[in-house]
Amino acid sequence: MQLVRLSLKVNGQPVEAEVEARTTLADFLREQLGLTGTKLGCEHGVCGSCTVLVDGAAARSCLLLAAQVDGCEITTIEGLTSNGTLHPVQQAFWEAHGLQCGFCTPGMVLTAVALLNEHPAPSESEIREALSGNLCRCTGYQNIIRAVQLVVEKQQRAG
Amino acid sequence: MTLHILPRGKWVGARVKRVEDPRFLTGEAKYLADLQSPGTVHAAFVRSPYAHARISRIDTTEARALPGVLAIYTAEDLSNLPPLASGLPIEGLKPTPQTVLAKEKVRFVGEAVAVVIAENRYLAEDAAELVQVDYEPLPAVTNAERAMAPDAPILHEDLASNVVYQKVTTLGDVEGAFAQANHIFRRRFHTNRFVASPMETRGCLSVYERASGQLTFYSSTQMPHMLRLFLSLFLGIPEHKVRVISPEVGGAFGQKMTIYPEQVIVAYLGKLLGRPVKWVEDRRENLAAATHAKEQIIELEAAVRSDGKVLGLKARLIGDGGAYSFNTASALIEPLAGAGIIPGVYDIQAYQHEVIAVCTNKSPVGAYRAVGWTAPQTARELFFDEIARQLGLDPAEFRRRNVIRSYQFPYTTITGMVYDSGSYQESLERALEIVGYEELRRRQAELREQGRLLGIGISLYVEPTAWGSESALQAGFPFPSHDNATVTIDPTGKVRVGVSVHSLRQGHETTLAQVAAEILGVSIDDVIVEHGDTDRVPWGMGTYASRSAVIGGGMVALAAQEVREKVLKVASRLLEVAPEDLTIENGTVFAKGAPDRSLSLSQVAFAAYLDARVRAEGEEPLLSATKFYNPKSTYSNGCIVTICEVDRETGLVQLEKVIAVEDCGTMLNPMIVEGQVMGAIAQGIGGALYEAMLYDENGQLLTDTFLTHALPRASEIPEIVIEHLETPSPVTIGGIKGIGEGGLLATPASVAGAVLDAIWPAGQAIEELPLTPERVLTALSEASVS
Amino acid sequence: MKPPPFAYEQAGSLAHTLNLLAQHGSEARPLAGGQSLLPMLALRLARPTILVDIGRLDELSGVNRSNGELVLGATVRQRQVAQNPEIVQVLPLLVAATRLIGHPAIRNWGTIGGSLAHADPAAEYPAVMVALDATFVAQGPKGEHEISARDFFLGPFTTALEDTELLTRIRIPRPRPGTGWGIEEVARRHGDFALAGAVVVLERSVEGTCRRVAIAVIGANARPVRAMEAEQALAGQPLTAPVLREAAALAVKAIDDPLSDVHGSATYRQRLVPVVVQRALQAATERAALA
Repeated sequence: MQLVRLSLKVNGQPVEAEVEARTTLADFLREQLGLTGTKLGCEHGVCGSCTVLVDGAAARSCLLLAAQVDGCEITTIEGLTSNGTLHPVQQAFWEAHGLQCGFCTPGMVLTAVALLNEHPAPSESEIREALSGNLCRCTGYQNIIRAVQLVVEKQQRAG
Repeated sequence: MTLHILPRGKWVGARVKRVEDPRFLTGEAKYLADLQSPGTVHAAFVRSPYAHARISRIDTTEARALPGVLAIYTAEDLSNLPPLASGLPIEGLKPTPQTVLAKEKVRFVGEAVAVVIAENRYLAEDAAELVQVDYEPLPAVTNAERAMAPDAPILHEDLASNVVYQKVTTLGDVEGAFAQANHIFRRRFHTNRFVASPMETRGCLSVYERASGQLTFYSSTQMPHMLRLFLSLFLGIPEHKVRVISPEVGGAFGQKMTIYPEQVIVAYLGKLLGRPVKWVEDRRENLAAATHAKEQIIELEAAVRSDGKVLGLKARLIGDGGAYSFNTASALIEPLAGAGIIPGVYDIQAYQHEVIAVCTNKSPVGAYRAVGWTAPQTARELFFDEIARQLGLDPAEFRRRNVIRSYQFPYTTITGMVYDSGSYQESLERALEIVGYEELRRRQAELREQGRLLGIGISLYVEPTAWGSESALQAGFPFPSHDNATVTIDPTGKVRVGVSVHSLRQGHETTLAQVAAEILGVSIDDVIVEHGDTDRVPWGMGTYASRSAVIGGGMVALAAQEVREKVLKVASRLLEVAPEDLTIENGTVFAKGAPDRSLSLSQVAFAAYLDARVRAEGEEPLLSATKFYNPKSTYSNGCIVTICEVDRETGLVQLEKVIAVEDCGTMLNPMIVEGQVMGAIAQGIGGALYEAMLYDENGQLLTDTFLTHALPRASEIPEIVIEHLETPSPVTIGGIKGIGEGGLLATPASVAGAVLDAIWPAGQAIEELPLTPERVLTALSEASVS
Repeated sequence: MKPPPFAYEQAGSLAHTLNLLAQHGSEARPLAGGQSLLPMLALRLARPTILVDIGRLDELSGVNRSNGELVLGATVRQRQVAQNPEIVQVLPLLVAATRLIGHPAIRNWGTIGGSLAHADPAAEYPAVMVALDATFVAQGPKGEHEISARDFFLGPFTTALEDTELLTRIRIPRPRPGTGWGIEEVARRHGDFALAGAVVVLERSVEGTCRRVAIAVIGANARPVRAMEAEQALAGQPLTAPVLREAAALAVKAIDDPLSDVHGSATYRQRLVPVVVQRALQAATERAALA
């Protein structure tokens, strides 16, 4: 068994670690760092529950080896809240009833954050397309899309 | 018992944001896979690659030698664990016990044959691959009708047949109805087998303390107390030494009702090994080995008068139960529940049904949202559409001529369901109004002229809810079904509600808090709802069958009402005002009409606990009450209309809009009702167009990953418009009816109906669902659609 | 569903990579973005003993323009393909094709070379390269050599690359000004692999006739193929709807190894071929007219 040394930043904190070569980023975050907010729904890259941000862009942490992100900056759902204040996307999911069982929620929220970072005012079809890599089995998606729209509306109102 | 103790008010009926959400939004919520217990070892199952085979030899030598592997068990090692068997007293159902690991024979791809325990899941999977199992393949049967043939391979040799249940029931004058009819129509449908696919798979963690003999079993389950009972019986651990904790549940939809072999094994091995044992199912296991659902072969025959009145129905329902009919009479739940709901919202006076349950070499069937009802609703509604068209009637008009009218409530159906109240015709008319039905039909005709295929599907439904004992009996399942709540006001005036209806994160922590807050006159911020831990909440059945709002709401209302009376009694002594002249609002107890004569709830509670002077002889100091509720049956209803367009060159279906008019009586929280409706509709769209568990003729599962098994995504679900009608139930506390399942009960019929409408008359040749583009295009090419 | 054990090497240079591939042969797999390889590892369908991570090799990550062609390094990520100003300007077809690949999170890590070397018959890039007459540069122990896109794909997940070779660059001729393009797919869900698709690159004469056309088929065949008979039928013809329709009908003849799976039978896929080809031809004709 080969161990790989890693040095990266997770939620703003520097992390030095050793992982078995085959460890996925998702398992590294969950099992080694205890960041269990990242969920595993399929482990073969379809459901999107494990989505995290790598250097600001959405990535499926089950489709990356931890070894591949050496030197990168990772943001997980745990890193989105600052000083106990919900991120505007988290807040909007709450207000729009954009979650039920919550299992897809971390991945959905981070995917939405990545979308809005690149496109601050997406259309409904752009939102649907951006979220189409994330499965949700509870909500029927409508309130999730509504949540993203709510963020946009609030930001536009705030000018 | 007064049904009026739960009025609509500040909380009940309000769109209250969910109190449970922040922990999910921040990633703090802990699901089964997230739990860590020191010293945990991990399980992986060796599963059968064959649909039907004899096991001639299992060699674990190589696997055992792998560093990090603790142990490997086969059926032989676990022979002291009793097999799983149906516990339901249903006459005529043959038992097909399932050993926790396959013994001598495997009967479906994915059946567990051995279990590996290793230091982590990676190693456990490595070792599972090294377990050598020699199989002698046997012919497999994957179609229920073929399985009924005399020469079919037999799954359970001791039964000498794959048919585990067969019964004909005749209700009313069926012969007369068919003799009088102007037209007799026949139709056959084979509905698709699809699965709940909760985003969180199954899983469990067994922690056993040898010194005390205490087993703590964490499991993603819908029924913590039932699981505790079964584990106690299976493992021989006294029930008071078993604690079941269901942490956050990442969706269940019925799939997590069943007591599974894996749970029994993991619980047992935790005890045997003296180390915590954890199993987190992977997606491939979930698709292959967690219960499947909804596959039925339904043949319908209708006796119809020339004015469109349906005089009588005959139905033959064959349930493809998969390999075992285990602890929920599983092979039978689909066709038996299905038979009862064939008449649905329609006034049918003569009905004959034949219910058949068959074993095949596929994964066993279990509960999935709208258990048993999706297939018959789909079959009947599609059938009625075709009858209407053949009679030259609009499908909406045909329904209008047969639907049960509001003046007929309470209405006892020919199958013995007592529909308490509803808005069957009203929901149809409202849905048609919202879509602008007549205009839409005109648009459809215009587009047809241009060669474009627009379709409109209507699904009018009644949904049995409030699954208490009476509801269960009316649906054909004679088992007691009640639940309990404990409501307590602590000395500081904060409210604790413990419920046995476990939240699968539909929002119970909010809706049931709304009920308690309404009655106790406090803010929901001062209420906490606890559930999912057998040591912390009273005994009960758990959450399934759209029962938590009705039963949970009712039992919390009853317990809160009793606590309120206790509070008022104490306050009455402190304020020297008669209890009936007191009320509670915003956490303050005061005299009606003299709000200055008041005490805070915390002052009253503090006195109740710590000041003996406020208590009369024989009164209890605790402001607490435990109440059970076992409601009469109540039925929700609604109408789902779908508009779609079919691409005649590719067979692809584009959904334009889904309109749902629903009536679940009094709504505790409309926002949560809408969430339930939209989620169920999305699953119904999946069932109509995308999802099917497909087996080849050898019984190989072709859809065992999310690459091959297609669930709808944000890009496939169209705009969903919801409108509420509220006809409070006259038979339940607060007039509440359930809401969890109607969307999945009725949407496949609505969506498939829209597609078949778009391609009419080509769709007459389609028997099988889902309506994949290939099926649609094939039908289109075989018929002329102008 | 965990990957089997393997060793991991971060490649420091192209030479280092080639050494490792030479040393381990078929036991080694290059890891670019991993978006196709990781699922196969998780499902234990691939069992390399060593992964050579080429994701950080600067030598393979550039987009360059030279002598009338665009040269893309093999590890250019799909996200970069869609955003690169040069590609957006010169090869909008490639941008459109990229948007049809999976979902944003996949495209953020998936690479162009990874997709090509993976050779999924239902993937977009292979057919686009076949339509564009791209040339692939492979490097191995014996040095560098070129393989035309049309010779590269041998079957599902099978290419002309040797185990010891690495796809390093993709050379795409710049389409002539006025070239129109179209890409059409039928998939069960957005982002899914296509049941059938077509890529068309088309040059139109001033008279409105077809000067040159390339048609490649996605998904219906075990490898991307050019629809030669359809192409020939169009040569020199006026680009009217009936002509396009007739030519599209011939595209089925290119299918020599029909694909069939749980999402769609071979029969169905072949029925879709004329439909997608016709639609892609229509789109290409319209774009060519605008150019």
